Amino acid sequence: MKKKLYHLLKICGEGLKRFFRPIGSFIGKLWRHPKGRIGLIIVGLLILTAIFAPLIAPYDPYDVTERASKGLSPSWNHLLGTTITTGQDIFSMLIYGTRVSLIVGLVTGISIAFLGAIMGILAGYVGGLADTFIMRTVDIMLVIPTLPLTIVLTNLFGKSYFMIIFIFVLFGWTGLARVIRSLVLVLKNANYVKAAELAGASRWHIMIKHILPGVSHLLIMNTALTCAGIMIAEAGLSFLGLGDPTAISWGKMLADAQSGGALLFGHWWWIIAPGIGIFLSVFSFMRIGLVMEEILNPRMKQSSNIYKIFKTLNNNYLEEVFESMDESVILGDFAEKEEEIA
Amino acid sequence: MNESELMLKLRNLKVIFPSGQGIIKAVEGINLDIEKGKCVALVGESGCGKSVTSLAIMRLLNSPPAIVKVDELKLDQEELKDYSDGKMQELRGRTLSMIFQDAMTALNPVMTIGKQIDEIYIRHNHLSKKEARAETIRALDLVGVPEAKSRANSFPHQLSGGLRQRVLIAMAFACMPKLIIADEPTTALDVTIQAQVLNVLSDMQKKHQVSLLLITHDLSVVANMADTIYVMYSGKIVEKADKRDLFLSPHHPYTEGLLGSVPKLSDTQHHFVQIPDSVPHPMFKPTGCYFHPRCRYKTKKCEERMPPLVKIDENCEVRCWHPLHIKGGGSQ
Amino acid sequence: MQKSYLIKRILYAIFIFFVVMVLNFFIPRIGVDDPAERYYPPQGNMTDVEYDIIKQVTREQYGFDVSNLQQFLNYAKGLFQGDLGTSFRPGNPKVSDLIAERLPWTLVLSVTNLLISLFIGLMIGTIAAWRRGRWQDTLLLNMSTISTALPAFFLALILSFYFGFELELFPAYTNPNMVSGFDWSWEAVKVVMYNAALPIISMSIGGIIGYGQGTRNAVIAVTNEDFILTARAKGLSRNQVIFKHTLRNAMLPIVTSLGMSISGLIGGAVIIEQIFNWNGMGTLFLEANNTNDYPLMMGIMLFMSAFAIVANLVTELCYSLLDPRVTVGEKR
Repeated sequence: MKKKLYHLLKICGEGLKRFFRPIGSFIGKLWRHPKGRIGLIIVGLLILTAIFAPLIAPYDPYDVTERASKGLSPSWNHLLGTTITTGQDIFSMLIYGTRVSLIVGLVTGISIAFLGAIMGILAGYVGGLADTFIMRTVDIMLVIPTLPLTIVLTNLFGKSYFMIIFIFVLFGWTGLARVIRSLVLVLKNANYVKAAELAGASRWHIMIKHILPGVSHLLIMNTALTCAGIMIAEAGLSFLGLGDPTAISWGKMLADAQSGGALLFGHWWWIIAPGIGIFLSVFSFMRIGLVMEEILNPRMKQSSNIYKIFKTLNNNYLEEVFESMDESVILGDFAEKEEEIA
Repeated sequence: MNESELMLKLRNLKVIFPSGQGIIKAVEGINLDIEKGKCVALVGESGCGKSVTSLAIMRLLNSPPAIVKVDELKLDQEELKDYSDGKMQELRGRTLSMIFQDAMTALNPVMTIGKQIDEIYIRHNHLSKKEARAETIRALDLVGVPEAKSRANSFPHQLSGGLRQRVLIAMAFACMPKLIIADEPTTALDVTIQAQVLNVLSDMQKKHQVSLLLITHDLSVVANMADTIYVMYSGKIVEKADKRDLFLSPHHPYTEGLLGSVPKLSDTQHHFVQIPDSVPHPMFKPTGCYFHPRCRYKTKKCEERMPPLVKIDENCEVRCWHPLHIKGGGSQ
Repeated sequence: MQKSYLIKRILYAIFIFFVVMVLNFFIPRIGVDDPAERYYPPQGNMTDVEYDIIKQVTREQYGFDVSNLQQFLNYAKGLFQGDLGTSFRPGNPKVSDLIAERLPWTLVLSVTNLLISLFIGLMIGTIAAWRRGRWQDTLLLNMSTISTALPAFFLALILSFYFGFELELFPAYTNPNMVSGFDWSWEAVKVVMYNAALPIISMSIGGIIGYGQGTRNAVIAVTNEDFILTARAKGLSRNQVIFKHTLRNAMLPIVTSLGMSISGLIGGAVIIEQIFNWNGMGTLFLEANNTNDYPLMMGIMLFMSAFAIVANLVTELCYSLLDPRVTVGEKR
């Protein structure tokens, strides 16, 4: 029994190694891609901002006692002014809002990746009852309206970001599982998997060692895109007041701005600031996801790049290329001519 | 050779594909002659420019991505190279048609096969839908599709691989064109089905005296059908010969290698002669003779200079510094 | 379409509805022994005796005084008679009546948005595919990365700020009683459209670009298919290739995403409705949430799910009409 467990752990370890190796090379490829680099830089800056928020923010964003400085316009003291209702420093709130957005986005994205990969691989590789059960569940999840259910569940269990993440994961894995399943169905028939099966490898062994590495690229790409989607959804829920009421998030800032009269008094910076926060975080993750997609399917990019290349082509150069192919056909007896050429 | 006997006269065809990393030279100036009513085969490994050649003759290469340059492209003495798009569309399917490799992807999955053949008659013979269908059924009958009338209403995925390929053949012969280009017509099929389909193709070609350009990587496919064989390597013709000569005494080491890969029943002692490695990437071709890195007979000269295509006798040309089976020709 | 396929899909839809119904029945019962506690949570200033009386009344009123199974059967029976339950609101209106009152308002927004997104999206998507790699295409690509990173409700806030408060062109907050008794007169339509302008614009910007990018990708994917080459080799004109072969196949993925849009027609505008104070289903649901009106919330949820199930079913059937491969189960 102990031996078996040890063996299983060893397989898992190797599988994970195979799974994480492409991530490293992927980040390298991303960095070399100009658009991918922009995404990585923004994500890096956002993470730094989230970690060092207390150092960067000039004021305490939770401080609602500054009654004297309510509704200030942007100035050097308050870069983005202060809120009309409570006099909080908007710039500091913007900095702190990074935390909620990133944590919810990353935690949900990674959890969805795990759950979606497990479900997709089970459905695709094990098949049979597991497949039927998982795919039926996916179909049911698809027809339940997500936002209303989220509202009901927060009503049942109280408002918190934990709840929001839980619901996002509960509903988010379905799409990923479908994609992974169809890829696994292809991989299942690949020769190396067949070979491993014939060699007597166990199902677990094959799933962890052969199938999982095969889907890892798709998984990473989807995780980046999921994170982006989740950040938008989180902003929406916070806007509706379904997030943790004490935390500062960009969605909630927008809601405060709307209810606090930013529209009425023309304080556009109060709306634009959290909007830029949402935009930057979603944009950077999406950029990374799209660049990964481009790296995975290079054909798609080439086909649209070709027009740019054609515009820069030099006719003289092309003529040279064509001429370089030319030659004279030599007629007559071979042996004779060969000497001539030599 | 008299030009009026030629169905296709192709002179100095060059095709390049500019890309972000450099220029891909797909076809580097090839000449091709097809006599009327004859079958000519173009043989070579995948990636040596065969399919590009066929699409260039059909003038189906889009620019971008391709740039095509050709001195002469004459179909039955008609110069096609400056034809307008509209004029080419009139020609394609009627006097010049093509059979593609994989019938599964070459047929529109959401259209019945009958409709897909009808289109040709409606387009070129200006028939009504009903008349076209009657013609379609006749064409399907000709290529041996059983119960053609009901099969015409099926979708491609409902047919077997062999039947699908026959549908493609029926399509190509629909208007009894002067020249048909068959690009690997049997590669996607099982061996037994391959033979059936090849028989159909060969019968149709002989019966209707159509010229055929057969493109394949498989010399055994060529053995029964072709009259003349062109061997292509990395965008250049390396050998041209009559079928008999080529099979009996190949001059180019590459041809020898290709022949060595064909199993022979009589040969029980020797193993296959194989060609090591694969075709060079079209962007990074070696210096000198393109084949030298894989050649058993290579010398220093091969590494330095590209050999010219040399005429050995009436119907035979070879591009090699040390051709085989030739008096005074070096290696043998 | 095969009959057996039709029946199978309908039975499956009914099965899904049944599961959703069971879930719907159990959600308010999660975590409490007595659903009356959920329906009427204890208030701070209430003694136990008082609360027991209230619970007893609630139980009787909502039929919680029988076994769980009996409750479920009653619930199911009510549903089949079209009874979605009774709201807590003053006067205890039927949930179905409340939905009937609010549904048209939501549909005004979402259907108009869908039509605009679909038509303009298809148009610009086809243009971008046509002008692939040129400025039209690049513009669409850049717009799509920007618009997907901007939530619709943020756009709504900006629009309501600029066009509503600064320019005062359109109402930033709509009046729920903008028309008294909608009678399809031109005047009434004008008033509704005037009020709906900003919500619709803020929803459809993302929709247009989403459909545009989707169409562009679908068309380009089909253009690269082999059967398009076959169609061109048959001599079909450019227009014939586009309309008979490309668009038909490019429709398939668009139908799928259209189906998803349709199933989200009712529940997809909650935040936008809230921002513009629009009196639709979304606001109704939020009101129900604020007053803990569980019968109303669950009734709306079930209605939305049922709508999504029907929408999915119709999409699937349409898809199978467009793509003959589906009925034999190759696509699933």
